[in-house]
Amino acid sequence: MPYPILRSHVHTGLLAFGLAQALTCLAAEESVTTDIGTIDQETVANSFPKAPYSPYAGRNFPTRPLFGDTHLHTAISVDAGAFGCRLGPKDAYRFAKGEEITASSGQQVKLSRPLDFLVVADHSDAMGLFPMIFNGDPKVLATEKGRHWYELIQSGKGGEAAMDIITSFGAGTMPKEIVPVPGTAIYRSVWNDLIDAAEGANDPGHFTAFIGYEWTSVTGGNNLHRNVIFRDGADKARLTEPFTTQKPLGSDNPSDLWKWMTAYEEKTGGFVLAIAHNGNLSNGRMFPIIESFTGKKVDREYVEQSAKWERLYEATQIKGDGETHPFLSPNDEFANYEKWDKGNLDMTALKKPEMLEFEYARSALKNGLKLEKELGTNPYKFGMVGSTDAHTALAAVEEDNFFGKTSSSEPNPGRAMHPFVKTDKGVIMGWETSASGYAAVWAKENTRASIWDAMERRETYATTGPRLVVRFFGGFDYESTDAANRMPAQIGYTKGVPMGGDLHTAPAGKAPTFLVAAMKDPIGANLDRYQIIKGWLDAKGEVHEKVYDVVWAGDRKPGADGKLPSVGSTVDVENATWTNTIGAPELITVWKDPEFDAAQRAFYYGRVLEIPTPRWTAYDAKRFGIKLPKEVPMTTIERAYTSPIWYTP
Amino acid sequence: MRRWLSEPLLHFVVLGIVLFAGSSIITRNTAPTAGRIMVSQGRIANLSMSFAKVWQRPPSSDELEGLIRDYVREEVLSREAIAMGLDRDDTVIRRRLQQKLEFVTNDVAEQAQPSEAELQEYLTQHPEQFRSDALLSFRQVFLSRQARGDAVQADAVTLLAELQQAGPAIDTGTLGDPTLLSPELTKARAGEVAAIFGEGFAHQLTALAVGRWQGPVASAYGEHLVLVTARADGRVPALSEARAQVASEWTNARRIAANQDFYRQALGRYTVTVEALPHSDAATTPPAQPPR
Repeated sequence: MPYPILRSHVHTGLLAFGLAQALTCLAAEESVTTDIGTIDQETVANSFPKAPYSPYAGRNFPTRPLFGDTHLHTAISVDAGAFGCRLGPKDAYRFAKGEEITASSGQQVKLSRPLDFLVVADHSDAMGLFPMIFNGDPKVLATEKGRHWYELIQSGKGGEAAMDIITSFGAGTMPKEIVPVPGTAIYRSVWNDLIDAAEGANDPGHFTAFIGYEWTSVTGGNNLHRNVIFRDGADKARLTEPFTTQKPLGSDNPSDLWKWMTAYEEKTGGFVLAIAHNGNLSNGRMFPIIESFTGKKVDREYVEQSAKWERLYEATQIKGDGETHPFLSPNDEFANYEKWDKGNLDMTALKKPEMLEFEYARSALKNGLKLEKELGTNPYKFGMVGSTDAHTALAAVEEDNFFGKTSSSEPNPGRAMHPFVKTDKGVIMGWETSASGYAAVWAKENTRASIWDAMERRETYATTGPRLVVRFFGGFDYESTDAANRMPAQIGYTKGVPMGGDLHTAPAGKAPTFLVAAMKDPIGANLDRYQIIKGWLDAKGEVHEKVYDVVWAGDRKPGADGKLPSVGSTVDVENATWTNTIGAPELITVWKDPEFDAAQRAFYYGRVLEIPTPRWTAYDAKRFGIKLPKEVPMTTIERAYTSPIWYTP
Repeated sequence: MRRWLSEPLLHFVVLGIVLFAGSSIITRNTAPTAGRIMVSQGRIANLSMSFAKVWQRPPSSDELEGLIRDYVREEVLSREAIAMGLDRDDTVIRRRLQQKLEFVTNDVAEQAQPSEAELQEYLTQHPEQFRSDALLSFRQVFLSRQARGDAVQADAVTLLAELQQAGPAIDTGTLGDPTLLSPELTKARAGEVAAIFGEGFAHQLTALAVGRWQGPVASAYGEHLVLVTARADGRVPALSEARAQVASEWTNARRIAANQDFYRQALGRYTVTVEALPHSDAATTPPAQPPR
């Protein structure tokens, strides 16, 4: 074991599918009573006869994925408030539970279906700053900048003030003395409001509201953001206040965030994890080999802490998709998807090709193998989730129901052609924002503990918006007949490990086999194909990657170049419609690695592609009756990325 | 004490005060006080207090002087700005004012504590908000539309006859087509069934008779033959079982109603005339989404 994980909750994950059937059954009984045990339930239970016999009893694995958003901002975030968001955390949870509400722009909005969980992750820096400025707090007025903003707002130039506040924040020129910091009354009251909102919305068994926040390190405009998610409730969360990036209380260095997380767990006996996002806007700093803060190669301490605290990565969201990049994966014809690769977060520095390797999930997974060989621990052994990063309090990222990145980009005829970021270096247009994504978690119960534990064991996948169901199991003994079994999940858990797991030392003469399956979103598009992406480290210390099509819809045959022909498209852009006359509602197969070398470290993850569907821009064009320029993409191929399974010799 | 906070009368009093304060700001700019700024002792105490709240100490005399200077400056400039009409036709200021007024009505609503009788009444009037989901236990045999094409319906009829003959005890392990969908769900909430199989499928299951193979029932994936083994319809809980939830919904409804009531009251004092839309034509269909 490269490093000891002595965090007791991990055992729930490890125990779940193994040894003591009786013990786990007992645990399940108990949790049923604690979670939903009321008179009501007893009455209900009595009306159910005992099943005469059942081959499916005693199953102790997750049977359906839970969908949620781990990254949503509300009016409490400085920038969200500045862009006109007026909805707070309570509204955010109500909306996620499926309630119709009025968006900040005055439009009615509702999700197609409720989500199963939500993390309101407002920026920890400057929590409560906006109310302070609005109210003309003496602390604000005591600084030149603060007074300037106050006067701008007072004289009706709120928009100008907002832009200046955000730029100052990104550039680190915010006057330190006016930013509410942990330990002050205003900061504490905002943090308590956030906790109260989560406690009020949390409904074990039906809907999980996590306590969390975003740690927004953006020195020099380079994105190193992380979302921190608590497994715990108010009793423990109230014992701390979020970690910020402003010195002296905070720090912009992730290593210091990990120290804060360590201290929290030691002090409270609680548990937290961190999920990084938008490596694509970090200009080569998100997944370093040479660390940007020290200028030196990452050391043992760095890789161990990174591996311990950052078990997941947010691989897709509104500010672009982060799986891989065409420059890094020239043979992957689906790599060029919703890319934001012009510069860093605030477009103050342009992108150089050599930065990309340290920004994208796939190349980080590869470099992780390299570092593991050298240092004994893989710092980039993360699973995948998607989330929104919406600053509207609305986790609404379906293509036909996309409520934008900020309240000013909620549906309106001008939003696609309105610049999202514009500097002297370049511009990112509104149409480049991506209606993406959600986190899918294979948890047994809809509770904080169960979902958090599934995140910790990486049994998760990312989707770009649709709620497709994806299974991915790895082991050495799957056979093709397992794909025809009526209980593929049971076979999957019995003969191998689920997504996020590990395979060690291959038995002589055996190669890893994978039981893979996917089902379309019940209200969504059919599936095109299921691919497995393999990355490995060869004997010379070089890393490689390869994409395999493992199961697909229809009777297509791969061409001479090994590529599977396109599934085609039924999209009618003008009317923003498509039909499920191509593709398949379900895909399942068993795949065996044909080029396995038992001596080489490797990882495998699944990628599922839908048939083409209208992009949000097509719905905008149709509904607002507008024409968008040629460069605006009007169709999309939605997808899911599973957490990898790693092979270690 | 809490009781009277929920009285509508109080709301009107509070809102009356707000309106009065608002109108006094406007009149302040006219004749008698126009050229005079009075910084009262009360105002000074107030400035000093808000400083102390932030810094956790009272201001020094220099700081207090600064606060007073700032206040005067703010007062002068804001009066000048208002006199010049800079506050008019400014979206940000107007939205901020609207928001502030809503804060007042929200606060009043949220401080109100409902009585037992009010909660009971709310529950009685909005039973559907609190009704628990129906719970369904069922088994299903899947027939793939994809694999069987047009024959799927005929196949379903044949297979249904076999199932009905064999009855509920039949082992369905090898019947139908393989699928990722669970062959059996126990005490699943209707909402969960909808999340897995689709809304239409879940809806049909709530109407099927218990204890008999039936179908085919269509889902997003294909056709299903279904045996509902047990069903418990959703029910409205007693107040004692759901007090916290009812109280939270009551407060939320109160907040929305307070805002609407206030708006309606205020609107009553105005005569609103909207001129006919240019090129208005009853035959044109409105856009699918209202422009903001």
